[in-house]
Amino acid sequence: MSQPIKCSLCEEAATVHLSQVVHGNVTKVHLCEACAQKGGATDPAVFQLADALTTASPAPTLTCPKCGFTDIDFRKRGRLGCPSCWETFGDVLGGLLLKVQHEASHVGRTPAGTPPTGQLRRRLDAARLEMEKAIASEDYESAARLRDEVAGLEKQLAPS
Amino acid sequence: MSSVEDILAAENELTHLLGAQQAVVLSTRIRLARNLDGLPFPGWAKVPQRKEISDRCVEALDALPNFRRGHVLRMGELGDRDRAVLVERHLVSKELAAGKSGAAVISRDQTCSVMVNEEDHLRIQVVKAGWHLRGTWHIAEQLDDALGGSLKLAFSDRLGYLTACPTNVGTGLRASAMVHLPGLCLAGHMDKVSRALNQDGLAVRGWLGEGTEAAGNVFQISNQQTLGLSEDAILKHLGGWIKNVVEQEWNARRRLAQEEGEKFTDRLARSLGVLRSARLLTSSEAMNMLSHLRLACDMGCLPEERRHLVDRLMIEGQPAHVQARAGQELDSDGRDRRRATVVREALKDFPEVVPPTA
Repeated sequence: MSQPIKCSLCEEAATVHLSQVVHGNVTKVHLCEACAQKGGATDPAVFQLADALTTASPAPTLTCPKCGFTDIDFRKRGRLGCPSCWETFGDVLGGLLLKVQHEASHVGRTPAGTPPTGQLRRRLDAARLEMEKAIASEDYESAARLRDEVAGLEKQLAPS
Repeated sequence: MSSVEDILAAENELTHLLGAQQAVVLSTRIRLARNLDGLPFPGWAKVPQRKEISDRCVEALDALPNFRRGHVLRMGELGDRDRAVLVERHLVSKELAAGKSGAAVISRDQTCSVMVNEEDHLRIQVVKAGWHLRGTWHIAEQLDDALGGSLKLAFSDRLGYLTACPTNVGTGLRASAMVHLPGLCLAGHMDKVSRALNQDGLAVRGWLGEGTEAAGNVFQISNQQTLGLSEDAILKHLGGWIKNVVEQEWNARRRLAQEEGEKFTDRLARSLGVLRSARLLTSSEAMNMLSHLRLACDMGCLPEERRHLVDRLMIEGQPAHVQARAGQELDSDGRDRRRATVVREALKDFPEVVPPTA
């Protein structure tokens, strides 16, 4: 028996087969039930998926040194390989994060025992801005207070 | 007795009147996504690595007081029906139930459950009946701190808690409310409300989460953004909207009751009539009519203290629950027959529906 055709997106057996002809070039996409549903194979928009697949560069350009995960894997799965991937693919992910999260940095909790660096840094940025404003409006009393706060925060954030 | 049978038999907040059941908001849920430092995420990990992840996480969880006399369930050791029961109870996700290497650690009162080896190494979940956003958050926060004390979690100063999917990075926090919105649905306003919520960064899903339809007019509303907002800001944002939706739901209900008059009471009374005498009940039919009964309890058409029974039937009328109760596999007709029997029994001594007072 011949091997079943595998889904272009995951490793499941493909049950949905699509062809698209653009300027005489035939593109074929094979999808499993689940991926077809996700991609909306029932509507013509699925060909956007086909485009994404065919325009994807065939060779990985980035590989995580820690777990061997590549940018191609990310494009296929939409999930990362390991925590270190966040560093490896930082540049690629930066733009994506702005798209899906509208923000690029964490301001929430930190694990027990870890200094809340993110929060301190955010407060530092805010305090610097407030200080500039205070100086501009000649509110030197506030400016002096903010200068002390900025100095304090810088000290806390300096690598020990 | 298997652990899953234990879970089914135990009284808990969502199915029994142990916590205060409330009109409109069925439950509040907090989920935190966490990962161990230095190990690949479950979807990329090799089998022995997944085993290591599972062993380390389960050991750490088992040591916490929250899970004393609780349950440790390994998906690979459970039958299909048991796993389906856990999914129907929202104790585990469909994704976790579908794999072999996942595990769930569940507290005795079923308030806290942690999924191990789902999309992330750890998915901490806390659920309370009714609307208790802060209280639910505090339990999750305390669990997170306790776990962070015994496990080294993947965290970056800039990006926060590192997760497998970019949609969860940062706080890893998904806060949600399960809301019952028959008024907005009957009035035809649900699409509009959904759109408004979406536009302000909240997701609206059906009863069983992602990609499910809203059986019984029950919707899950949750935050989408996890990065660049503090936990407090995320909770405030969701809390403000839930308050707003609850108000709108009450307005829609009052308007309907007023405009429809007897027709309103009639609709609820008919549902009770059907539920009390049907011999065959499909799951979606049961959900939609139970939704009317819940509405009746909220509006003073049925005694409020019966609401918890309606909530329990919504959970226990789901297919795997019906089969687990019957103690056997049933085909679709068999399930519909059995569901009708359970509902009929439960509603036997229900009083008649009267015109609304709320």
